Amino acid sequence: MLWYKDAIIYQVHVRTFHDSNGDGIGDFQGLEEKLDYLRDLGISAIWLMPFFPSPLRDDGYDIADHNAVHSSYGTLEDFRKFLGSAHDRGIRVIIEMVLNHTSDQHLWFQESRSSQDNPRRNWYVWSDTDTRYKGTRIIFLDTETSNWAWDPISKSFYWHRFFSHQPDLNYENPAVREQMWNVMKFWLEMGVDAFRLDAVPYLVEREGTNCENLPETHAVLKELRRKLDEQFPGRMLLAEANQWPADLRPYFGDGDELHMAFHFPLMPRMFMGLKLEDRKPITEIMQQTPEIPSSCQWSLFLRNHDELTLEMVTDVERDYMYDTYAESKTMRLNLGIRRRLAPLLDNDRRRIELMNGMLMSLPGTPIVYYGDEIGMGDNINLGDRNGVRTPMQWDGGWNGGFSTAEPERLYAPVIHDPVYGYPAVNVLSQEGSEHSLLHWMQHIITVRRSTAVFGRGTIEFLYPANHRILAYVRRLGNEAVLVVNNLSSTAQAVELDLRSYKGNILIEMFGKNMFPRVGDLPYLLTVGPYQFYWFRLRRI
Amino acid sequence: MKLAEESYLTDDFLRQLINVGEVDILVGLPTHNNAETIGSIVHAIQSGILRGFPRERAVIINVDGGSRDGTPELVTGASIDDARPASNLHALRTLHSISTKYASSPASEVAFRTILAAAELLRAKACVVMSPESANIEPEWLSKLLRPIYRDGFDLVTPTYRRQKLEGLLITNLLYPMTRALYGLRIREAYSQEFGFSGRLGSKFLEQNVWNDGTGETGVELRFTLAAITGRYRICQSFLGEKEHIERRAADLVPALRQTAGALFSALDPDFPVWSAVAGSEPAPSTGPDQEVLLAPARVNRKRLREMFSTGVAELQSVFQSILSPSTLAELQRIAGTGREEEFHYPAELWVRTVYEFAAAYQKSVISRDHIIQALAPLFRGRVFTFLMENRNASADDVENNIEGLCLEFERLKPYLLQMWKSRE
Repeated sequence: MLWYKDAIIYQVHVRTFHDSNGDGIGDFQGLEEKLDYLRDLGISAIWLMPFFPSPLRDDGYDIADHNAVHSSYGTLEDFRKFLGSAHDRGIRVIIEMVLNHTSDQHLWFQESRSSQDNPRRNWYVWSDTDTRYKGTRIIFLDTETSNWAWDPISKSFYWHRFFSHQPDLNYENPAVREQMWNVMKFWLEMGVDAFRLDAVPYLVEREGTNCENLPETHAVLKELRRKLDEQFPGRMLLAEANQWPADLRPYFGDGDELHMAFHFPLMPRMFMGLKLEDRKPITEIMQQTPEIPSSCQWSLFLRNHDELTLEMVTDVERDYMYDTYAESKTMRLNLGIRRRLAPLLDNDRRRIELMNGMLMSLPGTPIVYYGDEIGMGDNINLGDRNGVRTPMQWDGGWNGGFSTAEPERLYAPVIHDPVYGYPAVNVLSQEGSEHSLLHWMQHIITVRRSTAVFGRGTIEFLYPANHRILAYVRRLGNEAVLVVNNLSSTAQAVELDLRSYKGNILIEMFGKNMFPRVGDLPYLLTVGPYQFYWFRLRRI
Repeated sequence: MKLAEESYLTDDFLRQLINVGEVDILVGLPTHNNAETIGSIVHAIQSGILRGFPRERAVIINVDGGSRDGTPELVTGASIDDARPASNLHALRTLHSISTKYASSPASEVAFRTILAAAELLRAKACVVMSPESANIEPEWLSKLLRPIYRDGFDLVTPTYRRQKLEGLLITNLLYPMTRALYGLRIREAYSQEFGFSGRLGSKFLEQNVWNDGTGETGVELRFTLAAITGRYRICQSFLGEKEHIERRAADLVPALRQTAGALFSALDPDFPVWSAVAGSEPAPSTGPDQEVLLAPARVNRKRLREMFSTGVAELQSVFQSILSPSTLAELQRIAGTGREEEFHYPAELWVRTVYEFAAAYQKSVISRDHIIQALAPLFRGRVFTFLMENRNASADDVENNIEGLCLEFERLKPYLLQMWKSRE
């Protein structure tokens, strides 16, 4: 039932992965053809970005029909077939559920705006003025100036927390809540394993508040969870809520709301800690992270389809991140940095490995963004966040093996710069190289999956005087794993207080070599630049 | 050899330095029983670092001379890191405060050497020494002393202060005018308890023989400034504002003379090739005014100053005979015999000649060098008496003009010192 706690999730947009019919756009048949690759990588779940009919003005998060597949990606039958094939390989499928809003092209909105008397009029949030909910922040600061947009057809304002072409649904209306459950049920009955619930803090509006994280929003989510457990036990809800950990905690409820939530504030602090060569940002945010119910889980990630969000950092921290990770203004978007993992880390293999090592060993379920397992680059010349959504690079051939279409017909150009281009960075060449990043990723995933301690265990931070070392012990029952990360670009000596593990020997989990037994004295380790160790503590 | 030199650092201190690792900014804080004030000083230092250098790797290093009041524990307890309760200061990164004890009694040269060694081991780019005896350290002082080094490539930043007009008389009547005349650079506070320096200057000074030949036992901070001048390092002054001291006892004059005049006289021999070639003086680059003078009335026991001068001249006659020229001594004896306060006058020219003759005698070691320095004390009191009388009703500008006049007198009579020096060779 708690499969998501042990999962390794792979995030991919069907459009970006593999094009089976040569039209320049990835599709479900193409994705299905690559399932063996994902199985061999070791992942246990796929998170698919929106694949529904959409005008694609927000990369599919502007849904125009919740119960169908966008024609560019195939048919509903193609999806069913893909889902079955994934399950055959032991891979679960998580799909997007954009609860908060729809596209303005959605039939519901078309009907709602058509007249004041339309039965679906109250499915969206309408107003005669644009002055309500004044205390609500604007999220897309680079493009929007208000959360209200004027509709010339119905001659009134509608509420939108994101782009103005994405009107918010009205969750005060029971019919909306019922309809959205029906949408979820449609996919659950097909066999979908989980939903990634987009933008959950914003479902309900209340005057005099910031319209985020309201009790009424939690009530909506609890109702969905109750129905899910009753009718589809074992399925999972993953929340997207870019909030501070303390504000996120209520989304877990008493284990009766959402199963998982992204730990947004941790991710930028991992990058910050690495650049500062100081564990302080990481340990501090973990100290502020509250306990969650035992059935719940954090979801951790290094990069995803969005910008590296800097909403959950202080101004000083944000300036530091911009100056150190996005020197060029073109790399910045909204309050974030629109770059992939490898370019962010200067394509430094040691840092890429270290960051993945932390991703896989900190408490939570790791998510790997497609292409990061081979160190794909980005294209900051593409607008919005499209620079991190370029075609997957399968080989060094035509279009990087993504599609047989003319390059001009591709939904986005393949990366072809000398460092990150598909001739240099691709799956085929890395499969042939024993020491490639791809093989390393396969290895670390295998080691991670060899024990449940990473997914389910507790964490106890050690605080060695050397602040460049991030060290912690993960424990589950009698099993204990010591993790030691060197955030520094130089070799470090560290003394660890392991007295409570006196008598244990350390077994390094990648090479399975023994290290000396823990005694009364501080345990002295030397750690190379950006090196990390996972030690199984064994009392033999 | 290098390893042997580093052996004066304890194993525990080395362990702490290993944990700190490479830093950009190092703040040295020598202490001895400063528990009452050290908390606010460390807080001001931390605030200064976080305001002026929020991204830089920084460390506060306390070098303690055997405090028995818990001073080191107060410093180390102020670290900003992830293992302590939240501080009211938000730091991007860990800000270590570490401490080491070097002795059971304070010695500034040992403390400074330890700070220099730590700076070298940690590869600090910019360093600053702060005094635990400054009662009003402001966070901005950190930036004022460090920024010229960290951002502008200077190697030494000495402070200037807003002082009462009759404060710092040893500096205004001896140290400033003499260093200016001899070394050619107008540095108001060549001997200071607060100053910034570059890692490269610190490392260079650490290698010098001053630690081994005994000359670094007092006034090592002044030797540091002089080393920066003779080594042609980039030096500037930074105005810090008003400085409040913890009260000092009058008996501190002789130690102060040892640390200033003694250190300066000690340096003249090795620095002879440099200062003998200098004529005139140039201003040092400054941020803010070179000096600001306040006009608060001073409470000085003038009668006691005059008495100590006269008694000294009488009792130390035999000593002065081996130090001073007959004409200088005769003139001093004439002044000592002056009956009325209004008639007592120790003129600038005579004071300069006195000091230069003391410097020459010190170089030749005509008697014990420490006795030479002690013998200067009563004469200095006489000079102070005259300075007070001349400036008791003076404006700020008048005081500055008088100091400038004394400086020019030191410059004018420099050939006299050179002549004595060469004749003694």
